[in-house]
Amino acid sequence: MKDHLERRMTTTDLNRMTARNVQVYYGQNHALKDVDVDILDKTVTAFIGPSGCGKSTFLRCLNRMNDTIQGASVEGQILLEGEDIYDRRVDPVQLRAKVGMVFQKPNPFPKSVYDNVAYGPRIHGLARSKAELDQIVESSLRRAALWNEVKDRLTAPGTGLSGGQQQRLCIARAVATNPEVLLMDEPCSALDPIATAQVEELIDELRANFSVVIVTHSMQQAARVSQKTAFFHLGHLVEYGDTTQIFTKPRDPRTEAYITGRIG
Amino acid sequence: MSENHILRAFDRDLDAIQALVMRMGGLVETAITDAAHALEAGDLDKAERVRKADRDIDVLEYRINEEAARVIALRAPTAGDLRVVLSVMKIASALERVGDYAKNMAKRTQALVELGHTPVVAQAGASLRRMTRAVTELLSDALDSYATRDLALAQDVRIRDQEIDQMYNALFREFLTHMLEDPRNITPCIHLHFIAKNIERMGDHATAIAEQVVYLTTGEVPDDPRPKAENVANLPKS
Repeated sequence: MKDHLERRMTTTDLNRMTARNVQVYYGQNHALKDVDVDILDKTVTAFIGPSGCGKSTFLRCLNRMNDTIQGASVEGQILLEGEDIYDRRVDPVQLRAKVGMVFQKPNPFPKSVYDNVAYGPRIHGLARSKAELDQIVESSLRRAALWNEVKDRLTAPGTGLSGGQQQRLCIARAVATNPEVLLMDEPCSALDPIATAQVEELIDELRANFSVVIVTHSMQQAARVSQKTAFFHLGHLVEYGDTTQIFTKPRDPRTEAYITGRIG
Repeated sequence: MSENHILRAFDRDLDAIQALVMRMGGLVETAITDAAHALEAGDLDKAERVRKADRDIDVLEYRINEEAARVIALRAPTAGDLRVVLSVMKIASALERVGDYAKNMAKRTQALVELGHTPVVAQAGASLRRMTRAVTELLSDALDSYATRDLALAQDVRIRDQEIDQMYNALFREFLTHMLEDPRNITPCIHLHFIAKNIERMGDHATAIAEQVVYLTTGEVPDDPRPKAENVANLPKS
């Protein structure tokens, strides 16, 4: 039986995703330069860095959200379970079922709570019967720690929930397709401290089944929820390591300057 | 780290807390020197002043801990900043102990004066003074290495502590001889031995401060064994 001190560490060396030599251009602008990162299984990885450093850009590369941006191009290699996600044969819609995303502002569909969660499994044909779909919706809402709050109003509109509940609904929607990786872009920045704590607790629970990548401006949030931290600065990945090491003994002076509040 | 925080009040907080440590260090150095003078001269007034002054040292330690708690709670320090806060707490605790040893030296000085003049006290006085001077220098260097983040000086302090240990061992043998020669020496020699032992412990605390400087500058607690003098606890039977 491992004690808490051991369990809070990374529990695996298994890579879910591997990025090598990734470059991103927005037209002439070289936004990301030579990024190498491993996204470990059952681990929360935090991307930190000042605005414009490239952390969100890189997050969006991981499920090809940059495909839709005019003039954006991605070079290098990003593997999911050993397969290149930029391969011509990969369907981005299928990819995004495996690499789910949660955004800064809760963005539930203007549909019922139930339909929000059922949407992904329906379009991907994951349920063969109504009972099976009910089962997926319930387990997803439970995983998102929302079931007890919404089980009596599954037909109510998702947009009628509180901000924190809406964000957890979006997380339920993302986990409903049973993804391998969950990407979160500033998932708490529109939430109050209590809702933030609930989402952070949820992220820690999700780690048991998924690997989670979170972009956050709150260094304290990165310190609280992640086991691995990557620091981006001016389009470079400056330092990647255990969160404890990054916050107590960073190797690069730029990392130290950023986390101690000396450069913006 | 020479760069300033964007939030300048953070710099002021860290500077203020480190200034308290340096002030505490100054008070402790004075306490040791005064206690040694009081012992050598049999000066009861000075001994009493050392005892009373220990209160100021204790108050400073309390204030440093309060300020450290405040910085942790309000500013969530990380990396080098975190090490500053952790190290000031440990250094303050080491200095407080050294202050206590100086106070104990003053108390025993009072007891020795009450015993009346004994030749062993006069004889040991010079050795204890030398030992006190060495430990004051050690402590002063440890604090300087802290103030200037001088890793080489801190390493030097760690090595030099063995000189204090050797002086203590020599005094231990000397007191043992006096006590074997004449049982009337036992009471003064026990007091003198405690004083010597206390000075030796001061050296260990100076070393602990130097180790905090190593931690502060490198992020690692030194784990290499530092040179040690033989331990009187393991002396062969005479």
